[in-house]
Amino acid sequence: MIKQWLGSPLARRVGTTTALAVLLMVMTGPSGSTSQPTAGFVQSFSERSSFFGLFVTQRWLVWAALALIVSALIRVAKWLKSDYAEMVAIPGRLARSAQAPFQTKKPVRFGTYGVLMIVAILLPVFVTDGFWQQSLVEQVAIFVLLALGLNVVVGFAGLLDLGFVAFYAIGAYATAWVTGALPAAAPFGVHLDPFWAIPIAIAIAMASGVLLGIPTLRLRGDYLAIVTLGFGEIVTIFLNNEYGITGGSTGSHQVPHFTFHVGPIKYAWGLGPVPYYYLTLGFVVLFLIIFSRLEHSRVGRSWTAIREDEVAAESIGINPLKYKVMAFAIGAASAGFAGVMTAAQTNFLSPQTFLLSFSINILVLVIFGGMGSIIGVVCGALLVQVVSTWMDHYTPFGFQSQDLYMYLGAILVAMMIFRPAGLIPARRRKREIAMSEAGEGHMDEMLTGDTP
Amino acid sequence: MKFRLNKTVAAVSSSALLLMAVPAVGIASASGAATKPTFVIGYEGPLSGSNAQLGLNMVFGVQLAINNANATGKLPFRLTLAKYDDQGSNTYSPAQAQAAVANKKLVAIVGPAFSGATQAAEPYYSAANIATVSPSATAAALATGIKNNNFMRVVYGDDVQGAADANFLVKIHKANSVYVINDGTFYGAGLAQVVAIDAKAMHAKVTTNSLPQTCSPGYAPVSEYAAAATQIVAAAPKAIFYGGYYCDFGLLLGALSTAGYKGAIMSGDGSESSALIAGTSPASAANGVYLSAAGGGSGGNLTGKLAVAYQKLAHFPAKGALYATQSYDATNMIIAAMQKISVKGSLSTIRYNLKNQLHKTTYKGLTGVLKFQSDGNLVGAGKGQINFYQVKNGQIVQVGHN
Amino acid sequence: MASIFGFFVTHFGILRKEFWPLLVGGLSNGFIYAMVAIGYTMVYGVLRLINFAHSEIFMSGGFASFFLMRALIGSSAPGGVASVLLVIGGVLGGGLAGAFMAMVLERVAYRPLRRRHAPALAYLISAIGASYFMFNLAGKEFGRYNTSMAQPFVNHTIFTLFGAPVQMLSMIIALVGTVMLITLDRVVGSTKLGRSVRAVAQDAETASLMGVNIDRTIVIVFVLGGFMGGAAGFLYGLGFGINYTMGFTPALKAFTAAVLGGIGNLRGAAIGGLLLGVVESFSIAFVNGAYLDVVVFGLLIAVLLFRPTGILGERLGRSA
Repeated sequence: MIKQWLGSPLARRVGTTTALAVLLMVMTGPSGSTSQPTAGFVQSFSERSSFFGLFVTQRWLVWAALALIVSALIRVAKWLKSDYAEMVAIPGRLARSAQAPFQTKKPVRFGTYGVLMIVAILLPVFVTDGFWQQSLVEQVAIFVLLALGLNVVVGFAGLLDLGFVAFYAIGAYATAWVTGALPAAAPFGVHLDPFWAIPIAIAIAMASGVLLGIPTLRLRGDYLAIVTLGFGEIVTIFLNNEYGITGGSTGSHQVPHFTFHVGPIKYAWGLGPVPYYYLTLGFVVLFLIIFSRLEHSRVGRSWTAIREDEVAAESIGINPLKYKVMAFAIGAASAGFAGVMTAAQTNFLSPQTFLLSFSINILVLVIFGGMGSIIGVVCGALLVQVVSTWMDHYTPFGFQSQDLYMYLGAILVAMMIFRPAGLIPARRRKREIAMSEAGEGHMDEMLTGDTP
Repeated sequence: MKFRLNKTVAAVSSSALLLMAVPAVGIASASGAATKPTFVIGYEGPLSGSNAQLGLNMVFGVQLAINNANATGKLPFRLTLAKYDDQGSNTYSPAQAQAAVANKKLVAIVGPAFSGATQAAEPYYSAANIATVSPSATAAALATGIKNNNFMRVVYGDDVQGAADANFLVKIHKANSVYVINDGTFYGAGLAQVVAIDAKAMHAKVTTNSLPQTCSPGYAPVSEYAAAATQIVAAAPKAIFYGGYYCDFGLLLGALSTAGYKGAIMSGDGSESSALIAGTSPASAANGVYLSAAGGGSGGNLTGKLAVAYQKLAHFPAKGALYATQSYDATNMIIAAMQKISVKGSLSTIRYNLKNQLHKTTYKGLTGVLKFQSDGNLVGAGKGQINFYQVKNGQIVQVGHN
Repeated sequence: MASIFGFFVTHFGILRKEFWPLLVGGLSNGFIYAMVAIGYTMVYGVLRLINFAHSEIFMSGGFASFFLMRALIGSSAPGGVASVLLVIGGVLGGGLAGAFMAMVLERVAYRPLRRRHAPALAYLISAIGASYFMFNLAGKEFGRYNTSMAQPFVNHTIFTLFGAPVQMLSMIIALVGTVMLITLDRVVGSTKLGRSVRAVAQDAETASLMGVNIDRTIVIVFVLGGFMGGAAGFLYGLGFGINYTMGFTPALKAFTAAVLGGIGNLRGAAIGGLLLGVVESFSIAFVNGAYLDVVVFGLLIAVLLFRPTGILGERLGRSA
């Protein structure tokens, strides 16, 4: 009797729901320590917490209730004869029905872009809080830039790059170098304005992308991930240790702000975040235009071909290595550019900014938004970064900023299980995943061996 | 451009905007005394990460001072504490400083705690004329490099500590060769440099080496101190001095013990923590190690009722909580200066006046009489201010002072 | 030219002087790398997948055995039979925790993807997410600092090998490592259980037609690799203490070892681990400690570029 019940779908659901509620409770609960390893877990049951000032109650009650509601909703949906796959597809269907007018009518489309642009431009007027203005630049705009860059590598070309942060670091340190903020002497002894660092940093980042790419991009995809990870670590170790060149773990504090001086027009950026917001916004729009042109160009189509079936692509005359290296270099260039912006805006560099976890953070933005979908990646970056900054700042229900990566890790797993194509999937990607799951074609060259 | 805009996009962006617009709902505290204005004293230091213990020691000292001041009922304002967790890292401190500057009620900062973090954060504080009174940032160079005179500290700098440490190793401990290691941080490198120069001046043979910090936030502590330990043992110095923080120092001690090093080992205030012993593997490798810290040679500790109140707040004893007393003093000194100025004007005027008032204030604290020089250092030469400790059977025991 | 010559004279001098101590230290680390590398190699052999979260299985073993040791060891240092039992207990405790976490990992992060025949990129991303989730959760629950493990024995020098002191801990690591590696080799090589593992590794489809339960076999692979990794976490923790990020660096090195020996090849992983430990240790004579990781990564990249099949060649099915 009991054994029968244990094997029933109801028991399974109860088990999963309970496990999920307990997991959420422990994740959001208080921290423990090695001397009291169970403290965090035990207090997760007993601790009372304020939920946005609405009510104060035990945390576990809220999670249990939430889990029950979700579980009940799924039941109701199933009862209404729409099966699970349909449920998952609902947001997608909504999305498709809403897309049609935007794709056909040009004036409407450009009108919408215009409205979004105006919102972005007016944002600092509404967001007057100093912290949020700062975060808009440091935590949102820069990350959108980085996510756009990584999207070219992961989304367009299908290469998992875990050392993306290295190019960001290279851009930032190149800026410090040409502005004379590093122990290493500036080139030609001239201390340039950060504006001049932009082309130099981009060139250096691209060159290192090409140098890393040519030997390693021949490797299988999973090896490539590890090798790029190693490259990122090597760059960090170098920055951390070469005192005479990079300033070591102390980094540099003297990167100057941007100044603009042409004829009678003179402008200097300073500690205030708003001018930096507009500068970064301008470049974000520029990169958006470039990347969406690229997606639909010959190069973009070649990437798609390689991603879907490398052997077939090669047989129709596409040189896979050439296009992969190109993706690497373009991604590196945008990361290098983001490095320039960060270095000049914070005036400050330290190797500890450029760790593997930073690459993972960017990867989360791309995966969450939707690999290969520009609009998805932008939305993903906006959402994840604003929420994480918000949580970090207001610490709702006892959130601790050091736990951020726990949530990011959970997002990665959950996305892969439930919505692998991302929040707003690229149509092409979605089709490829479906193809792969149906056993047709070879999405990414990784899928050569048969995975049982 | 072919963006496919849709409802999801709209939902995403609007919810993102909403989140930014929502202020700290539910975190707003109930305002008890409606008539008194409320001001915030900030604390910036490591409250998480590998070196959090030092920051926790301090933040409860600050909280205690604020609680006591509010409890007297005599203040013309209410004070609250805002915590800014920089994880002790110069990477996170600029963002925390910006958040503190943006706080519309914040008048002064206790901290930043770590020297490297201080150096990175000060441009923001000095631009906003916010006084920062550090209980523990001891790097000598801090007092010279910062504009606007907003940096002050209630401990003596590492020039005092380093000289005392060199004297301890070379003169008292009779070590004629000293291997000086720094962790590459602003604090560690500065302290190690003072020790190296002073030990050399006392005619000891000095070898210097830099082993960059590995315990910084998010970085994996690694076992590679084995390499350094092998090289140190090959050099056979009579004494080792380590300028750095306890997390890495513990790893180095483990490696030195495995490599069979037998001489004296010493480190500064960054390593003076019970967490050093807990983090050293095997724990016995920490035994016999000397430590130094600014402590006020004549009993500058939280005692009696204060110690009880501290433990109630912190859930760990005040005894042995390095820099708790200094934080308590620093906070009280800010409160004392606050009472001398008008609290009616705009925030920027209050910040500016408070900073200037602090330079004029003389305050008799638990660690001694505190008065700042124009560069932010304490007046006086710091004789008797540096305590020496030794780890004996897993406990840190005081063995003397300079 | 003269300076390069001088560099080699000095550094080979150190290598000659310190040869035996470095060899002992390197082998001791090498056994740990070998034990962790087994986990990578087995999962790869069967699933063609790099188990990126294996580092966290190692960490789980470290933490579990840490709590076990603390519960069992009082204030006085144990000795004699008690020490032996404690070491066996620690290996079992760490190993079982590792095996359990590996099972959970397979169930939560991989199986749903397998059911869907997800592309390989999805596995890797899921694994990275699981790894970040696990070590940060451990940091949250157990604190983010180093803690030393209660020692089940007194770590003294037991004999000298050509002047190099060999400590108790190194001996225990070598002993436990050898016993476990040989046992695993036998289990996979000549039991019924091992035969199903090899069958799935060679050809999953055919094996399934022959009546091998693929799901069960995959769980077995994760459990065996997890046990080795968890036990290695215990041994590593004895020497270096434990910490929520302790898995990252050793596991990357172990992955390098697995590639070095030929990924998917059990004996290759063992040989690769030992070799890597020794190479790493010898490079102490030549480079600054912080650059040891660079040496290892450099080796990894070189192997992948010039001999991607490693020393013994790939494939779990054929040569184990």
